Amino acid sequence: MSGSDTSWLGQSLPRHEDQRLLTGRGRFLADTARGCVHACFVRSTQAHARVRSVKTGSAAALPGVLAVLTAEDLGLDGAHLPMLHEPHPGFAEVTRFAMSDPRLPILASVRVHYVGQPIAVVVAESRHVAEDAAELVEVEYETLPPVLDPTAALAPDAPTLHAHLPTNEAARIEVGFGDVDEARRAAAVTVSDTLRIGRHGAVPLECRGVVARVDDRRDRVEVWTSTQIPHLVQQALCRVTGWARDEVRVAVPDVGGGFGTKANVYAEEVVVPVAARKLGRDIAWVEDRQEYLMSAAQGRDQVHHATLAVDANGRVLSWEDDFVVDVGASSLWTAGIIANTAIHLMGPYRVPAMRVTGRAAYTNKTIVAQYRGAGRPEACFALERCLDAAARRLGMSPEEIRRVNLLTADDLPYPRPIPYRDGVPISYDGRDYRACFDSCLEMLPRTVCDELRENYPEHDLGYGVATYMEATGRGPYETGRVRLLPSGRFEVATGAASAGQGHETTFAQVAADALRVSPDRIRVGNGDTDPVTYGVGTFASRSAVLAGSAVHLAATRLADRACGYAAMLLDTDAAGVVLGAGGFRADDGRVVDWTDLAAAFGPGGRLEGQPSLDELAQFRPQTVTWTMGVHAVVVGVHRDTGLTSVLRYAVAHEGGAEINPRIVEGQVIGGVAQGIGGALLEEFRYSPEGQPTSTTFADYLLPGMCEVPQIAVKHLYVPTAGNPIGVRGAGESGAIAAYAAIAAAVDDAVGGGDWRVTSVPIAPEQVRAAIARRSAAVAS
Amino acid sequence: MKPAPFAYVRADTAADAIALIDEDPDAKFLAGGQSLLTLMNLRLARPARVVDIGGLGELNRVFDDADSVLVGATVRHRAFETDPLLRRLVPLAADAARHIGHVAIRNQGTLGGTLAHADPAAELPLVMVTLGATMYAESRRRGRRAIPAQDFFVSHYTSELEPDELLTWVRIPTLLPREGWGFVEYARRHGDFAIAGAAAVVGLRPDGTVERVRAGLLNVGDRPLLVSGGASMSGCRPDDELWRDLAGEWVRQANPPENADYVRDVARAALTRALRAAYDRAVSAGGE
Ligand SMILES: Cc1cc2nc3c(=O)[nH]c(=O)nc-3n(C[C@H](O)[C@H](O)[C@H](O)COP(=O)(O)OP(=O)(O)OC[C@H]3O[C@@H](n4cnc5c(N)ncnc54)[C@H](O)[C@@H]3O)c2cc1C
Repeated sequence: MSGSDTSWLGQSLPRHEDQRLLTGRGRFLADTARGCVHACFVRSTQAHARVRSVKTGSAAALPGVLAVLTAEDLGLDGAHLPMLHEPHPGFAEVTRFAMSDPRLPILASVRVHYVGQPIAVVVAESRHVAEDAAELVEVEYETLPPVLDPTAALAPDAPTLHAHLPTNEAARIEVGFGDVDEARRAAAVTVSDTLRIGRHGAVPLECRGVVARVDDRRDRVEVWTSTQIPHLVQQALCRVTGWARDEVRVAVPDVGGGFGTKANVYAEEVVVPVAARKLGRDIAWVEDRQEYLMSAAQGRDQVHHATLAVDANGRVLSWEDDFVVDVGASSLWTAGIIANTAIHLMGPYRVPAMRVTGRAAYTNKTIVAQYRGAGRPEACFALERCLDAAARRLGMSPEEIRRVNLLTADDLPYPRPIPYRDGVPISYDGRDYRACFDSCLEMLPRTVCDELRENYPEHDLGYGVATYMEATGRGPYETGRVRLLPSGRFEVATGAASAGQGHETTFAQVAADALRVSPDRIRVGNGDTDPVTYGVGTFASRSAVLAGSAVHLAATRLADRACGYAAMLLDTDAAGVVLGAGGFRADDGRVVDWTDLAAAFGPGGRLEGQPSLDELAQFRPQTVTWTMGVHAVVVGVHRDTGLTSVLRYAVAHEGGAEINPRIVEGQVIGGVAQGIGGALLEEFRYSPEGQPTSTTFADYLLPGMCEVPQIAVKHLYVPTAGNPIGVRGAGESGAIAAYAAIAAAVDDAVGGGDWRVTSVPIAPEQVRAAIARRSAAVAS
Repeated sequence: MKPAPFAYVRADTAADAIALIDEDPDAKFLAGGQSLLTLMNLRLARPARVVDIGGLGELNRVFDDADSVLVGATVRHRAFETDPLLRRLVPLAADAARHIGHVAIRNQGTLGGTLAHADPAAELPLVMVTLGATMYAESRRRGRRAIPAQDFFVSHYTSELEPDELLTWVRIPTLLPREGWGFVEYARRHGDFAIAGAAAVVGLRPDGTVERVRAGLLNVGDRPLLVSGGASMSGCRPDDELWRDLAGEWVRQANPPENADYVRDVARAALTRALRAAYDRAVSAGGE
């Protein structure tokens, strides 16, 4: 057996899953649909309407159709999904947090709240027939005026969208400390702005999908779904249906990207298994792209009214923000989004006084989940844009004003007078944020613009920089399980499903260190409620921190117990046995390895009948750990068209120990690409009637190879004592500051004047108009 | 995104295709499928039957015909970029074609398809209008007829073709000596349909002064727009400023449906650069 002396943590091993994924042998949801009949959802064509009737007769009569089912048919009348997050009561009390439950029906029968909302499901021999039949379902609507603006939705005279609620307020929060009014009096400069982050979201390669198979022998239903959170799906499914946990298995195949959209529980994930049980048929629902762009959960969509006061040296005196989040028809994550936004408004700076009020509003747009960053990019955009505005007013550079305010080694750790969402008082556990800032500028200084200028004669070049904070690895817990297989290899399972993050590689690396074996002896399964009964899932930059630590704990315990068994085989005392790269060694030099141990459990073996080597561990962090980072960017703004190209990009971040540096880098780069998309291209638009108009890739513009430059990433290693492997989360880091950095760079390129970027995605026609005004001013 | 039910037949010859479409008024030709299949998958088009002409080899040919080139309807967009004969004879089309979507799309999409589809944002229709090409259509009822490119495009997604007519060949005039060409477009991302774009041909007199200018714009209205009139460049050796002024005058003829000022602005930039490029190429082609 090949043992291991090396530490596998910190090595950029090639990703184990890539072998499979890159050679077309990945098994995604649609690949698991063999033998199934197909579901197609009948979705609302109206943004806001009363449903007068749903006639399914002619659809049901179409040859090849097995059933057309409404909420009533499925016994789901009035059923709705449970909210997925509620903050700690301590946090709620301090922040006067309140939220409402929209109780959006799983299948609408009385009223519809957005275009794309599921009303009925057709089950047929093929997806083709199912779509033909779905067209024949007649839904009679009585249209109601749609509410599409979140601020208007909160106005006292706005029509209420959810009949059981008094208003359209989805949640509210107040976070503050210090005397803002007093502090503001001493200000040299006060800047106020209204800042908007448009509605966009995750657009993974693979859309959503569910396969439900009825297992009559075990009297349960097996649900395969393209999700990041199988355990929460199982929990919600049981809650809605009343099924016991052991009547449902939820498992995750290969997932082609999630980014938060799949860290959600969907109506479709309930309807498909319920229909499968009712019909006694295996059913697959494989979502198509148009359906996805219309009905999968979206993100961002915030408006901030912010005021920043600084003294003559640029030091922040007070910071105020009043923001509104548009959560569309419903969000099961409203609490997370609004709390994340409020907390992350503090940034990595010395902020002596802050007053933040936030509200979330229901509108007649598509539902919302926690898209990568989930409030952090919005908070970062508000604060960083105001810092740039203040610097401009003071005649300081954007770099200077940040250096003045950034926390340094003298300040850190830096307690804040408010609790985190888990109720634990916030304390930034970093090392030196200003040093991180400087190291980013070193990678990509402003002077790079001068070097590049002559290559871009039709462009104005601009430089932007922005910083972010990211609370990562939030609880409550995650589960890890490590099991010795009969061959002497190992199987690892966790509650954190992989949607492409490389868990097969990283969790094997973690376990390998504790087991003293090479990672290629360890297999990591994807999320599945069978091997791991209780779990939480992959989101909020938490998997490496929580699931990684849980795997570490389980593997360590397994190794400890294995020493006892090895001692039995070696006929010696457990205290005298040491696990090393070569196996278990007795005082006298005799050795048995994992293969010997595994074999000894077999019939007639010396360990026959002994409890197997199979360890389950839960890791519960005390609170979050903080990652801080800096983005710097050079853009070229095309003078004649106002189109912006990102030319150079650099990210430095203060992260923890890296399990696999290449994977961390990939996470950051991918996040930046999504940030570039949100800053320049992507937007879910709606017509005045509430019809979504970005339902194909001709209208929803994603950044591609030509829009994303090479991105330099620097990792500043600052371990944390908050978890046994010393890691900090990095999954969302790349996305957070891209908006603010790119906006700053576009301002810099367009140069001077009163115009500045206050909303994203940045509209080329506005940039072009600003350039035209500038040219006119120069000419006159 | 599955099409509504439809019947499928493959035509073996052009004559066969014409006969098949004649039988069935609800049938549609399917060429590269890069527009039609998308519309069918979105159920925006619901032909009862498609007659597949994508594999017609007889129309996938190019003939060099002295002062013009005859290009078959099933010649792929990609061929304009890669076929040495087409590159030499219609370099304007070669330059324009590389802006059509991505390579995979250009490998499938056909000349006949993009012309019949008549998208005002499409590149090759503008090229045909700018070069003064002639389309040949054939049907059982009307026989064969020739339609000048300028009359071919009627409105958004509407051409002169009758539903039973097969576009068979396109005659594209080749450039004269002392003629240069230019094509410029601006899109949100490379491969997207352009915000606006322009094609231009400039011909010079033996003394190097301008003799004639022909230019057009894409995506500024309901069809490719040939622009004309304005200050005459005839006899001039225009500098950048003059070209820009002319472009400024010409884009006023455009009436973009949305965001008109911005689109005109972008069209002007594209046209200025296309004209300049055409002029510069004419000069280096031996205008002086
Ligand atoms: C992602 C994507 C991006 C694209 N980007 C661009 C772009 O930037 N610029 C651009 O110009 N185009 C673009 N296209 C469209 C592409 O150029 C199409 O190939 C073209 O518009 C249609 O050609 P086709 O051969 O695919 O025709 P089909 O899709 O097969 O047919 C289109 C229409 O033409 C009719 N038709 C086809 N051939 C004939 C014929 N010989 N006689 C009569 N009628 C006929 C069909 O009946 C149908 O109505 C894009 C397409 C895609 C999918």
